[in-house]
Formats: sequence, C-alpha cells, structure tokens
Amino acid sequence: MAGATQVLPRTMPRPAAWRRRRVRRAVTFYLLISPWLLGFVLLSAVPLAAAFVMSFTNYDGLNLDYLQLVGTDNYARALADPDAQYAVGRTLLLMAVIVPIGLVLQLALALMVNQPIRFSNVFRTIFYLPYVIPVVAAVWVWKIFVDPTGGVLNALIGTVVPGFNVRWLVQYPTAVLAVLTIWSAAGGGMVVFLAGLQGIPAEFREAAMIDGASRVQVARFITLPLLSPVIFFNLVTGIIVALQVLVQPMLLSPGILGLNPGTVPPRENYFYVVHAYIEIFTKQLFGYGSALLWLLFTVVLGLTLVLFKTSRRWVFYGVEPS
Amino acid sequence: MSSWGASPPIPRVADRVSRYGPVLVAAALFALPIFWVVVVSFKKQSEYGSSLFPAGFQWANYELAVVLADFGRFAANSVLLSGTYTVLAVLVSALVGYGFARHHGPGRNKLFVLVLATWMVPNLVLFVPQFVLFARLGLTNTYWPWILWGLSGSPFAIFLFRQFFSSFPRELDDAAEVDGAGPLRIFLQIYLPNAGPALAASAIFMFLWVWGDWLYPGLLLHQDNTTLAVRMANAYVDPRGNPLQTVTMAGVVLYVMPLILFFAFAQRYIVRGIVTTGIKG
Repeated sequence: MAGATQVLPRTMPRPAAWRRRRVRRAVTFYLLISPWLLGFVLLSAVPLAAAFVMSFTNYDGLNLDYLQLVGTDNYARALADPDAQYAVGRTLLLMAVIVPIGLVLQLALALMVNQPIRFSNVFRTIFYLPYVIPVVAAVWVWKIFVDPTGGVLNALIGTVVPGFNVRWLVQYPTAVLAVLTIWSAAGGGMVVFLAGLQGIPAEFREAAMIDGASRVQVARFITLPLLSPVIFFNLVTGIIVALQVLVQPMLLSPGILGLNPGTVPPRENYFYVVHAYIEIFTKQLFGYGSALLWLLFTVVLGLTLVLFKTSRRWVFYGVEPS
Repeated sequence: MSSWGASPPIPRVADRVSRYGPVLVAAALFALPIFWVVVVSFKKQSEYGSSLFPAGFQWANYELAVVLADFGRFAANSVLLSGTYTVLAVLVSALVGYGFARHHGPGRNKLFVLVLATWMVPNLVLFVPQFVLFARLGLTNTYWPWILWGLSGSPFAIFLFRQFFSSFPRELDDAAEVDGAGPLRIFLQIYLPNAGPALAASAIFMFLWVWGDWLYPGLLLHQDNTTLAVRMANAYVDPRGNPLQTVTMAGVVLYVMPLILFFAFAQRYIVRGIVTTGIKG
C-alpha cells in the first residue's frame, strides 16, 4: 500500500495535491465498503454492544417499564445454573465425539476420492450431497431412517438379530444426532481437504517413493505435514460448529409430527445453545440468555485465539516463521 | 492426476479391492438414508411399516404433498425471500470485496479482519439483539430483516470476492482509469462481468442459506408469510391428525429437489470457472 505510492519519487506531486489525492482515495475506499461498514455498525457492533448491556439487566424482550440493571447477577446465575452446567457437559461430550470422528472421516473421504478411480465425480457428489441438503430435510432423512415403524435401520439389523426393535430417538437421541451432524458436515470438510491434497505437488510423493518410502511413510512424513494447515482449519471450524449446535437437536424431536419453535428437545440433547435459546425465546429471559450467549462468545473467541497461538507448534505452513 | 507412479501394468484384484472397496461402502452408507426417503415417498401409507418396499409408485403422494400444505405459496415465499437476499448480498459483497481488493484507505487491513471476525461470532449472539431491534422497529413478520442483511453483504462472500478480485491484472484498472472511468464504472464494466465463478459460488451459498434456514424465518415470520423450510418441519397429517409419513417424504423430496438440480447445474459452472482461473487440480 504505502510502497505503491513511493515507487514514483520523481513525479511526486506537491504535498498539498498529494494529500488531496490521498484523501480522495480514502473516500473512494470507504464509499465502496460503506454498505458493509454501515451494516456492520448497525447490525453487528451496536446489537453486540446492546446484548452486552442487556446481559446486565432483567430485560424480558417486551417490557421496558420493569427494566432494571441487575449487575452481574445473570453471570453469577449462569455459573450456578444446574441446567447450564448439564448443557455444558452434554455439549463437551458431543464435541469430543463428533469433532475427531468427523475430521478423520473427512480426511478419509478426501483421500478415497483423490485416488485415480472411475466415477470419482459421482462419489464426490454423493459425499457432498448431505452438506447441501437443508437441515430440515436432513433431520427428516434420519428420523425416517431410524423410525422403529417404517425405518430401514431396524429392518436391516432385524435380518441379523430377529425381533430387533430400538426406538433410537427415545433411547439414543445423542447417537442419532452425532451421526446426523457428522454426515451433514462431512462433504464440506472433504472439499477443503481435497483442495489441500491437490495443492501438494505429486513430485514430492514420487521422489519419496523412488527413495524407497512406503505408502504409510509417504502419508506420515509428506502428505500429513503438508496437509496440517487444512487439518487445523477443519479442526477449528469443527469445534466452533460443535459448540453451537442448536437447530438439529431442536428439530430432532422423538415424535413424528415435527415441531414448532419452543419444543424442548429430549434431555440427552439439551446442549448449551439450546439452553440459551429456550431461556430467551421460550422463557423470555433475554437478559439471562444474553449473559449465557456472551459467555459462549468469550469461550469461542478465546478458543480461536488459543488454537491460532498453539498452531505454530504443529502446523506446517511451508515457510518457516522467523 | 496424482498417480502413485509405481503401479504395475496389470492392476491386481487386491489393488482394485483396496481402491474401490472402502469408497463404495462409504458411498452406500452416505446415500442409503437419502435413498430411503425416496423409497418411502413412493409407498402407500398402508405400506409404511408393513412392507419394506412399495408394490408400485404411489405418485399420488406428490400430488397430496402439493395440495395438502399449500406448497406452492410457501415455495413462492421461499423463492422470493432467498432470491431477494441472494441478489442483494451477492452484488453488495462483490462491491465491498472489490473495495477491499483494489482500493486503499486508512485502517483497511484492520477492517478486513473485522469482516472475518463477524464470521466467527456465534450466530445467536448476533441474532438475539437483532431480533429485539427488528421487533422494536416493527420489522418482524416482514422480509425487511433479509433485505437489511442482504444490503450489508455477507462476510463469507466479501472474503470470496476479495480473494477473487485480488488475482485480476492491475493493467485493466490502469487502462480504464486512463480512459477516465471512475471506480464504480470499473467495477461494473470490468470486475463484475468477469466474476462469473465467484458470483455463481457465492449465489449458491447465499441461496442455500435462506432456502434451508429454519431458525430465523421461524422466529421472525408469521405462519402465512413464512418459508417452505418452516412448513416442512411439520409432518403432513390426515384429517384425523395421524401422521402421513409417505406424503411428508414426498414433500421433503419436492423441497430438496430444486436445490439439487440448481446445484448440479451450477457445479459444472463453478468447476469450469475454477479451471479457467488457473486453480487447477
């Protein structure tokens, strides 16, 4: 930026004219980005600040007459709330299951379709499809798949284990949810891994194989290190998504009749953002809910920073820092 | 493209099995639940739960799915809402992305970090105060929230366009500037017409987002002007209130089908765009 203007020292205009030109450039830049900037201020920054203020009040979403500052009560309550603690536990459990399994699956899918195989485009599309399917449809897909009455899962298991009848959404709701989320996200992660794999020059692997490296050694010492930035990216996004899971558990109610906003998911699928959602939109506790969400925001922000700081130890960016 | 070099001239059976076995199994597992939805959508309701496969194709389920739910009206709402948001968000994001890629001003880099940061903020953290704001302004039950979101662009699309436009040769701008074209004209006549792949990619994701979103229309809109996604979250029922799983699955297929066709068509376009821009595999 600054360099670009300094390239032309001979034709450098007089300071006043130069300043005018810089001002004009800055005005152009700000005019071009003004829609976003305006939206950012009005729809992001101000509401975020408002939510922060809201988290120190007893705001109920409707009435301003009873509005009171309650200090840090909401935060104290959030830390002591047994429902919140339970929800945190379930969220961490879900994260511990779906993030590593999801990551390994995404990498495995990318490696599989990156081989020289026939119909690799068809396979890619099949793996990518669940990522494109809207969440409402995805939930129906799994509801019907595991339905004890007309689902195919129990029927398939029933051919091996006669009389097999499990009511999955009642007995194992979190397992179904985990499968659903892993299935939905796999395609997106696979595409990112594929881009990473195709960025690795084939010569690297060929050279190693000529030197006598085995397939496993090539994967361990060439592919994996060169892929580590992509692994890191998918890990961070995977964790952030897992912490915020909301719509799938809300929609994955055990009943077949679907639901309305306000339905509480089964206890096993009571996650942190579900808790915040219910406190806010069902119980109208906007102040308390805002405190819950701001705590989440802080954790996500902190986690992102920590992951980026520690990434240097194991993420290989091709160029050594320092 | 990426050959393993030392493969033998005659592929052995074991090699083929190791190459195709896992990918076939994975594809079957991924596709089976979707396939099952299609199967159920062709069953008679009496066949649901009694026989594994339908005796014939029950096309009437698709007619019922359209008739029983006022499908056309909700689909029209979805098209209108997704289309409006997509057009606005894509154009605005392209303009802002062009600004970030090609123009300079104090604080540019910091502002771009802010663009990326808004991407990281948990959705609900932003939405709850926005919801209060929209409610106070009387904008609930209208499509205004989506228009406002569209007019302020999407962080994802801004990032995409910024990356895309950064690779354009600068000589184009210089030549146009010599001809006396202002930044807006340069954007409209040079950048936008050459942004095909980025336009297609961002349009698909913007459209998918609104078409698939259940949360925001559920909270902001009314039963009458809401989207297909909200309607499809509820099962179809017969006059006695018993669930009609078969008709519901037909509705789900109709809800997802346009998206898959749209995607199948646009995917080719994106791939071609990626190839022509030189990011080859």
